[in-house]
Amino acid sequence: MSTLSTDIAVIGWAQTSMVRHTDKSETQLLLDAITGAITPLGLTRADIDFTCLGSCDYITGQAFSFVSNLDAIGAWPPKRDSHVEMDGAWALYEAWLRLQEGDIEIAVVTGSGRSSTGDPALIYPMEMDPYFLAPLGADPLTFAALQARAVIAAGIADERSMAEVAVRSRGTGDVETLLTEDFIREPLRRHDVPPITDGAAAMVLATGERARQLVERPAYITGFDHRTECHNPSFRALDDSPSTRIAAEAAGLGTAPVEVAELQAAFSHEELLLRHVLGLGDEVAVNPSGGALRENPIMASGLIRVGRAADHIFGGGSRALAHATSGPCLQQNLICILEERS
Amino acid sequence: MTRFVESTITFPYKRSLGPVVGAFMTALTEKQILGIRCGDDVLVPPMEWDPATGAELPHEFVEVGPAGTVESWTWVASPSEQHPLDHPFAFALIRLDGATTPLLHAVDAGTPQAVSDGMRVAPRWRGTREGRIGDIICFVPGEVSETEGEDTGGAAEPVTMMDYNASITYRNPIPEAADRATEASRDHRLLGLRCPTCGRVYAGGRGLCPVDAIELGPECEVDLPHKGTITNFAIVTPVQYPGQTETEPFVRAFILLDDTDVIIPYSAVIELPADEIRVGQRVDAVWASPAEETEEGGGMGGSWGSLLGWIPNGEPDLADPDLVNRIF
Amino acid sequence: MSTPPVAVVGVGQTHHKSRRLDVSFGGLVREAVFRALEDARMTMSDIDAVVLGKAPDLFEGVMKPELYLSDALGAVGKPMFRVHTAGSVGGTTAIVAASHVQSGKHRTVLAVAFEKQSEGNAQFALGSGRGASLGAGGAFAPFIRAYIQRSGAPEHIGWKVAVKDRLNALKNPYAHLKIEDISIEKVKASPMMWEPTRFLESCPSSDGACAVVITDEAGANAAAADGRPPAWVLAASSRSEPPSFPGRDPVRPAAAIQCAADVYAAAGITDPRRQIDTAELYVPFSWLEPIWLEAFGLAEEGEGWKMVDDGTTELGGSLPVNASGGVLSSNPIGASGLLRFAEAANQVRGAAGEHQVDGAKVAIGMAYGANNQYFSTWAVGSSLHPFE
Repeated sequence: MSTLSTDIAVIGWAQTSMVRHTDKSETQLLLDAITGAITPLGLTRADIDFTCLGSCDYITGQAFSFVSNLDAIGAWPPKRDSHVEMDGAWALYEAWLRLQEGDIEIAVVTGSGRSSTGDPALIYPMEMDPYFLAPLGADPLTFAALQARAVIAAGIADERSMAEVAVRSRGTGDVETLLTEDFIREPLRRHDVPPITDGAAAMVLATGERARQLVERPAYITGFDHRTECHNPSFRALDDSPSTRIAAEAAGLGTAPVEVAELQAAFSHEELLLRHVLGLGDEVAVNPSGGALRENPIMASGLIRVGRAADHIFGGGSRALAHATSGPCLQQNLICILEERS
Repeated sequence: MTRFVESTITFPYKRSLGPVVGAFMTALTEKQILGIRCGDDVLVPPMEWDPATGAELPHEFVEVGPAGTVESWTWVASPSEQHPLDHPFAFALIRLDGATTPLLHAVDAGTPQAVSDGMRVAPRWRGTREGRIGDIICFVPGEVSETEGEDTGGAAEPVTMMDYNASITYRNPIPEAADRATEASRDHRLLGLRCPTCGRVYAGGRGLCPVDAIELGPECEVDLPHKGTITNFAIVTPVQYPGQTETEPFVRAFILLDDTDVIIPYSAVIELPADEIRVGQRVDAVWASPAEETEEGGGMGGSWGSLLGWIPNGEPDLADPDLVNRIF
Repeated sequence: MSTPPVAVVGVGQTHHKSRRLDVSFGGLVREAVFRALEDARMTMSDIDAVVLGKAPDLFEGVMKPELYLSDALGAVGKPMFRVHTAGSVGGTTAIVAASHVQSGKHRTVLAVAFEKQSEGNAQFALGSGRGASLGAGGAFAPFIRAYIQRSGAPEHIGWKVAVKDRLNALKNPYAHLKIEDISIEKVKASPMMWEPTRFLESCPSSDGACAVVITDEAGANAAAADGRPPAWVLAASSRSEPPSFPGRDPVRPAAAIQCAADVYAAAGITDPRRQIDTAELYVPFSWLEPIWLEAFGLAEEGEGWKMVDDGTTELGGSLPVNASGGVLSSNPIGASGLLRFAEAANQVRGAAGEHQVDGAKVAIGMAYGANNQYFSTWAVGSSLHPFE
């Protein structure tokens, strides 16, 4: 098996303004995000060798919804292009694999979705086991609450540490006051759950020399892996996240310390569980961006974690970790390690 | 001020269950709950495969419960329309007696104070059971199963299918360009947007140039002629499905607007039967009167805003062999 | 090729039917998966990653089915990936799976694609539930009309393709449609759907799945040494173009021409008509065969219909197209593209059974999606350097 190239880097990214509810269509959001990502690098759409989009028909409310997103790419002349029905972080994985082939230099990946379009409590049950769980309307808040209970029972979190995560992430609020709020799905309170956010993100990858021509400090992808677990949460130990552990090990987390970890933890207890599973000590800055608890644009949230981790490298840092997740109770987890090169 | 359009996607899906889920659902109609043996474990709900390895499981069913123990739960104070109960309840992971894994279901306990880890619960069965997880309406505190309504007994035949009705309502914004084009159509104007970079003109409310990937704002607006030529068409024989509105073959025509390169695709035609449509036919736009109700701008083609369609205007056909290629 | 060689060592598919009422979702995909693993003499534990492809989730009403199917596909503890590129998705699934191996990150990857569309209604899903849907074929009718006008093709060409593919399907044990008495007259007499395309010139709606095992050079050589020749992936490409803008030509789409050029250049194919022994082209409506023959350089512009007319593309002809019966005979939408790629691989492995093209050494599989916008193509060979 040949060695993976670590000479592929994130060289820039952009996101649209993150709002509770946007008037823009998904295609408009994407257009802005892509233009925002490539323009500062002096690139035009003609320079892009490969595009991979991440989005989800059921979030958008239309079959083949990603087809009109092609308009945002400027796929003329025709582009090498693909699409995943997953968060943009997995679109990044596909592009990273593609760039390993060595024949192309620049890729753009995106994540987009308008979370405000439909009610997540009604949409997300449709991703659950179609025979036993979807017909009960088993919703993400319920599953998150059940996992939170398990995580608390295992001593990995408690309502106070969860509130502290929320306050730190949002940069506002007071733990004592938050703890007096009612539960919305015990043991979760409003501050423990993510906001609904509309937005899109686009990221630029480049290989080797091209990356170094375009920016001073590329953020090199030195480890990248993702794993899935059994689907039904009732078959799993919810106080653990084995796929996160396996992905992190395969991505080489253990070989050196990270300064920053951007974790796609939409719920406060998830951050505590992920910290625990990843073995991140207090010296690691977790979600300095505020993470998904502050802004949670579905299908872009994971990609933005990579973007924030890349920002750390752009700004002078040495090593950062980004995590993305999909499915109920952290069913699928992705780990991307970014490094400077001296 | 952006307008939004609501659309509901709803469909009665019919799922085939396969041998394991089918056995489980059939047993539910008999007020029995089955698990499946997986090594030393009994999996509930039963799976066709070992969740850890993917290996096929032999069909060794084990009857479990009907009572069980709550392992974990969370209170649902405001149930959604998809939830099993319409008043507050607990979603719980319930380990039925004899099972290794818990089953997610609702517990109807009245108040969260009445729910606790370790409490015993038993099913409340639906009187008329079809073979679906909802044949168990919910679980209730205690050891004793209940049946709600008249018990009409088990299924006469093994259950092999299951219905699933999902109805999701979406609110999507109408992009400004589409809205302006619809508004302009009320004044019987056909609005186009000219891309300042490549010069292509886009009609039908399309607010961006896909070649240059830029948005086209009101400053790009041009008025388009109301006369054109049919370049191509589709004659669709309708297929029936829930939501279908057509019963007869219908036409969607492509209209090349005079003195432009603009094609209006998938347009409705008026007073032009499907068997008389021709490439090269000259047509005029037909507008709705202010009093007529019209649809929003067309995702499916047909009428668009106040533009009802196109009508033959009697001019001689254009004989240009290249016309049929003018599709986009 | 500059990238490490990869090859197909196992292919499996279901018996495609209008309704597979005998299986659950998991049961349907596992049927194809276990056949592919058996063909590869492997088990789930040999698979390092799974790539799932499927058309819109609205077809079955299960969102992100890779989540539910993770354990069914033996993917627990492994990477699980889901692609969706409209009708070309099955092809993209194979390409992304190959990319997983080519990268050097994964040794053996399972590509799976399926559709259980009888659970919903494809026409409904295509129109997202609104009335007056153009239906599956409505969008293509104008393209076909333009092709016929440009090429001067006689009206019977579409009927001939329909008959050819259904006759081929009689030799494919997995094919959905088995119309024993298929004939030109029968096709002509069938109801008009989207003028000029009649019912018997249109694809069926099928439930089905396809699975392909792709592995690295060492794995492929091991299979060859074991008397099971692999299909080497000579080249692959995916190209897309926007849906609609003045200057777009859906009859000779630039994305198709570019996709073919990418593949031919990387595979060393300079004379496609002579160097390619057989092709599996995505033809859901009969007239797309001459259209794709031309766009993919297997026929000169305007001449594709002649290859249909003179029998070139029949099973016994000099360039058989869709020896498997093609999309016209089996169409589980998400899987149809992968079936093209898989059938092409089977041809160069000598594993196509009764519909084997004798001596096939180089084959192409091609899939397209949306309004002739998304194209995925691969070229496979019985050896890594078939032209030397």
